[in-house]
Parts: sequence; C-alpha cells; structure tokens
Amino acid sequence: MRTSTDHILTSHVGSLPRPDDLIEANRARDAGEASDEPAFQATLRAAVDDAVRHQKELGIDVPGDGEFGKSVGHRVNYGAWWNYVFLRLGGLELGGPSLDHMTPRQARPGEIVLTNAARRRDRVRFAAAYADRESGVFMGPRPSTGPVCVGPLTYIGHAAIRADIDNFKAALQASGVEEGFMTSVAPGSAYRIPNTYYKSDEEFLYAWAEAMREEYKAIVDAGLVLQLDDPATATGWDMIDPEPKVEDYRKFTMIRVEVLNHALRGLPQDRIRYHLCWGSWHGPHTTDIPMRDIVEVMLAVNAQAYSFEAGNVRHEHEWKVWRDVKLPDDKIILPGVVSHATNVVEHPELVAERILRFANLVGRERVVASTDCGLGGRVHPQIAWAKLEALAQGAALATGQLWR
Amino acid sequence: MRTSSDHILTSHAGSLPRPDALIAANRAHEIGDAVDKRHYDETLRAAVGEVVRHQKELGVDIPGDGEFGKPMGQRVNYGSWWRYSWQRLGGIEPGQNSLYDMQPHRSSTGHIVLTSFGDRRDRTQFAAAYADPDSGITTGPRPPAPICVAPLTYKGQDAINADIANLKAALAVAGVEEGFMTAVAPASCARIGNNYYKTDEEFLYACAEAMREEYRAIVDAGIVLQFDDPCVAEGWDQVNPEPTVAEYQKLATTWIEALNHAIKGLPPDRLRFHLCWGSWHGPHTTDIPMRDIVEVMLRANVGAYSFEAGNVRHEHEWKVWRDVKLPDDKIILPGVVSHATNVVEHPELVADRILRFANLVGRGRVVASTDCGLGGRVHPQIAWAKLEALAQGAALASKALWH
Repeated sequence: MRTSTDHILTSHVGSLPRPDDLIEANRARDAGEASDEPAFQATLRAAVDDAVRHQKELGIDVPGDGEFGKSVGHRVNYGAWWNYVFLRLGGLELGGPSLDHMTPRQARPGEIVLTNAARRRDRVRFAAAYADRESGVFMGPRPSTGPVCVGPLTYIGHAAIRADIDNFKAALQASGVEEGFMTSVAPGSAYRIPNTYYKSDEEFLYAWAEAMREEYKAIVDAGLVLQLDDPATATGWDMIDPEPKVEDYRKFTMIRVEVLNHALRGLPQDRIRYHLCWGSWHGPHTTDIPMRDIVEVMLAVNAQAYSFEAGNVRHEHEWKVWRDVKLPDDKIILPGVVSHATNVVEHPELVAERILRFANLVGRERVVASTDCGLGGRVHPQIAWAKLEALAQGAALATGQLWR
Repeated sequence: MRTSSDHILTSHAGSLPRPDALIAANRAHEIGDAVDKRHYDETLRAAVGEVVRHQKELGVDIPGDGEFGKPMGQRVNYGSWWRYSWQRLGGIEPGQNSLYDMQPHRSSTGHIVLTSFGDRRDRTQFAAAYADPDSGITTGPRPPAPICVAPLTYKGQDAINADIANLKAALAVAGVEEGFMTAVAPASCARIGNNYYKTDEEFLYACAEAMREEYRAIVDAGIVLQFDDPCVAEGWDQVNPEPTVAEYQKLATTWIEALNHAIKGLPPDRLRFHLCWGSWHGPHTTDIPMRDIVEVMLRANVGAYSFEAGNVRHEHEWKVWRDVKLPDDKIILPGVVSHATNVVEHPELVADRILRFANLVGRGRVVASTDCGLGGRVHPQIAWAKLEALAQGAALASKALWH
C-alpha cells in the first residue's frame, strides 16, 4: 500500500456522486424494466473511467471506483455501500423487514442485542428532527423490505465483482494511476438482516465471513487495495437500547472483529484498509460512542490502514486520542479531514491544520488525508467534488509544512 | 456589558426557534388573515418568557429574546433578522422582486456595486446544488423586497417598545441580569430598492438616521444592542465579478462609517456587532477571508464583536488573532457552535475552540457564542441541543482556564 513518503497522500472513503445516466440505468435495471445489459455495462464502464480521471485531475492520489458498481437508483442514497451485497449472495430471499422495520429488541446488562434502525437512540431523542422533511436529515427513499437469510450463504457475485475489478483496473490504467482501492462490506455490518437458517448470530456471522471472503480475495488478488466498510463497529452503539456498558459493547464488537479477521486469514495485511464510521446521516449524532472507547477494537482488525471520521463536529476533537493510543509501527491512518456532514466546503487551511495535528502525533508518513465517509449520495455532486478539491489543496498545504 | 470575569460566558447570535403557535400567528398575519392583536401580543409575550427561561436553564449567560418580535411565518426562514425592518420603516412601498430576482449589477474596476442575491458568485458557481431541493440548501421564503419612494422614517416605536417590554419582563422573571437584542445595521438594511434618494450613500445614511431610533430605544432600556451586519462580510460574494480586496474594503468601510454615524453618542460598552458570511447551507467557497475584513470590522465603535468561527470555512481563522491586535477595551464572541451542520458539536470541541481564542486574546475577553442565529436554520430540537453543547463546552473551557 502506498504511504506518504514524500508528500501527504490523499484518498477518500469510497462513494462518489454517480452521473445521472448511471442512476437512471440502475433504477431501470433494479426495477426489472427491460434493459440492454451490454449497454448498461458500457454506461457503468464509462462512468468509472470518468470518475477515476476526475479524481486524478483533482489531485486524489489513491482513487476508488466511486462504488459505481454498487447500484444507486436515486441521487440521495445512504445505503448502497452495504445493500449491494444482497444481490451477490445466495441463501437470501426478499420479503423480510428492512433494518428500519425489524422487530425492536431491548438489550439487558451483559446481553447486548441490536434493535432496529428506527429505534436508534439518537433517532428517538430527536424524533421530530428526523421526521421533518425540511430538517436536512433526509436519507433518500428507504426500502421497507429487505432480504432474509433462509439457506446456506454462498457468494454468487463473481460476475459483478469481476466487472467492478475490470472496469476499475482499466480506468486506473487509462489514467496512469498506480494504486486504487475498492470497498467491500465487512461481515459485522452485512449480517444485520433477519436470519431463519443459522442457529445463532455467531454462526450467521461466520457464514457471512466465509461468503464475503471470496469477494475480498478477488479484490486483493486483482492487485487492488481492499477497503472493508464496517460502520457497525461504531454505529452499533447507538443501535443498542438502552445504552450498554462500554465494556459489554467492546466485547460485542470484538467478536465481530474476530469474525472479520477470520474472513481475512492469509490475505496480505498491507493490501487492506478498514473504514470505521458513526453513520453518514445528517443527524445530531449525540449518541455516538467516543473514539477513545473503540479505538483498540478497531486496531485489532488485521489491516494495515484505518480510516475514520475526524472532520465533523462530533469527532473532530478526537485527534487527541492519538496522544494516548499508540498506533502500531507498521500501521497508517486515514483520518477524515473533509466531511459529508456539512454543505460548507472545508477551507484548505483547515484541512491542512487537521492533517498536521495527526502528522505531529503519529508521523507524517503514516497519515493519508481522507474523507469522513463516502460523499456520493450524501451531499450534492457539485459539493462532493469541491470537497475533494479542497482535500487535495489542504494536503498540498500540509505537505508544504511537513517536508520543507 | 458583562465579560468573562470568572468563567467563560455564553451567548448566541440571536435567532432561536419560534414555537409553532407563534409561527402560525405570524403566518396568519403574513397572508392577510384577521389576527386578534391582543391574542398575538399575548402569544409573543409568552413565547419570549419561555425562550428566556429555556436559555437560562441550558446555561446561556446572556440570553436574547430569540428575535421573536421579528416575524417568522415559517419554520425554515433565513431572513426575519432584517426583513422585520420593512414593517418598521416609513417611506417604503411593496416591490415586485425579491433580492434574488432583482436585476444583476455587474461591477468593474473602480465601480463596485452589489449585484442581486441570485447573481452571488457562490450561487453561480454551484447553481445546480443551490437549485436542488434535496441538497439541503434551503433558504425559506423569498418575499419581494420593498422600494424606498419617500423620505425614510422610523415608525416601529410600538413594535420595539413591545419587544423591549417582553424581553425585560422575561429577564426579570428568569432572574437574569443582562440580555441582548438585535437590530439590523444600516448597510444591511439598505439593500432594498431605492427610487427616492439620489445616491447609495444618501440612502445608506437615511437608513442610519431612521434605525438610530430603534438603537437608542434598546440601549436606553438597558439592553445590550447587537447590530446584525452580515452585509460587511457577505457583500464580497455579492460583488460580481470578484473585486480587489482593497476596493471592497473601501466599500465596506463606508458601511461601518454609516453605522458609526448612527450610534454616535451611544455607549460602546452596551453595543456588540455581528459579522457573518450568510447563514444559508451553501458551499461558501467565495467567502472573503476574515483576515481581509477584520480591520474593517474593528472600526465599528462597539465593545464586542461576534463572528463565525465554528464552521469549516472559517474555523481556521482563529489564527487571525495572532497577528491582529484586539484593542484592550474590546471583547469577542466567536461562533463555537454552528448552524452549518446538523451534527451537534461535541462539548470537548467547543472547549478546544474557546481555548484557542482565550489563549490569544485572554480568557476575560472571550464570550462563547454561535456562528449565526440557530432559529430558522436548523431544526428546533437540534438548535436547542447545540445551545446545550455550547454551555457544556464553555464549562469545560472555564475549568481549564480558571483551574
């Protein structure tokens, strides 16, 4: 994996704004409307090519494919990063409740269970704000149904991941970019659907790990950097009602990290990065678990690099965590220094200031400037691109300070 | 004016979420429905009483009346802070166009003028984002702006007297010693149409003379007067194409001079000035840097300066105070929580921000505040949670600064 050897590298979390023609093609294809598959693939390929070129132009050193192979049928979309996978697994059937509509469950001391997304503690506390169409918390159309696991989980997404990889590698080559990353959902974030087949959550989690391992391997084998999207590690806290003890929650998430490590066994750590986040919706986020309480859980993941939110007002102060917590010598971090959480475009000097705080604590070579979360679907396309530009400008300013 | 003598005081920029009953009453008035004056006055008085109590409860040391006397007929509304003046001035009549739809006026070297709101440079550069209802860039209603057609007079005596009485009663009931009230500054007031005065300058000074009555009334009542004058910063984006900084500073200085004219004889230590870059949820890439406007701001003859410092376009500008000397008798109210994001600031971040300013200008000269009014810009639940975070952060900072 590239590291910041002579300047602060830039990357981002994954999702980028889909072009309108791709959104429409996805919508039609997902709705089962008659669709010309070769034409769809051509649209997708052209969009990926364009996104990679655009990232390079703006100064993004380690680009992604924008998650364009993960279907988005509406410009506002917060879910494609994980619900793409439902089309890639066997053993699932449609017709279950969505994460919002699953039966709410109460946790008890020592017995942690996730409730549904609608019962998240922040969502309950700020119910009126979340419900108000004018509040800016709008999350796009949200499905009321979702998949249920009814049989052995198998990976059937070979053609889809093959196409993603081919599209992305062709785009990287066309732009002359040496390294790119591709996202894939981690078991602990993917398994949050009803299951009538496996006997326990743990069994279910390991089934996800085995199935998803195929996708992880495909990405790594193709020479791409694999990014595991695992917001559940942080967002799970808010989804436990009532608020659990930190110690109990750590145990709960550590099991999920062990499952992920099982899925990653034998894969080269230096080709893997891990993304932690507190959920990208534009809510108050007052019930986010502090970084300090989960940072060690995150560091237990067998990845070389850790991406996390640090560019929004709930987590910006947490750069100080790295005063106390030692980042292992062979690891790097990708703090979010621009964010989806505000329409205001970060001033490059603020971006630089944020980068410097991290670089001063863990060393300049171990910081890659990144975003809080995916920008696609969460802010307007024009704003998303302007933020990537500010990111690159800020990284250049920081580089000027750190390598003078 | 109270200063942070033994802890970091908290205040905010003015607008707070109106209760639904007050919004409904304002809305009825707006659309011309018969409104029972006495019922309206009672609704307003009760709302001000409640909002002062709520601020005290949350730990806001210097509360305002939430600008509740400045009518807002919608929950999302970014303009009542200045549009209220349209009801308090004589010599104006209803116009046809909102400021967004007015004819654009292009500037050229040596000839710098404000263009329409629709022709603002950020708005032009991000036209698609501003036009998309899903983008989160709401601006609420955009009523037609009035036009000045005769000598400008102040006719808002009853309204300002009611505002003052309501706030003073609420402060007394809550047992709060000091409160503030906002009023639009002459330059920000003068952005309506003018067919009467021969020059922009003449009109500007007419606004100064008329509004002076309101300013005096507030100060005479023993309430701290805050001038809302975003024009001084956001005017930069309203000059198209971008002018030179020197040219713009010259123009903005004329606005401050008009304000100073209006407040001649008023005690500076009862006055504070609010600078901002516009509270709409846009990208703000064309905001003028604080460094280029801070000396203009400091020319205002007031004791305190409030400005945005809690959003990602201006957060880094605390460093301005490394180079710029804050005169000894002045204090600042930096924004440490902001309307610009729905995420509620973590109290530790609020404390970090306060400490940066306190370390540069001294703890006794920092009052923790908001970027801009929270009312009308974020959901009421979020607005209140942000004020709570502000107070919690100020308490953390106080502990660090007075330990």
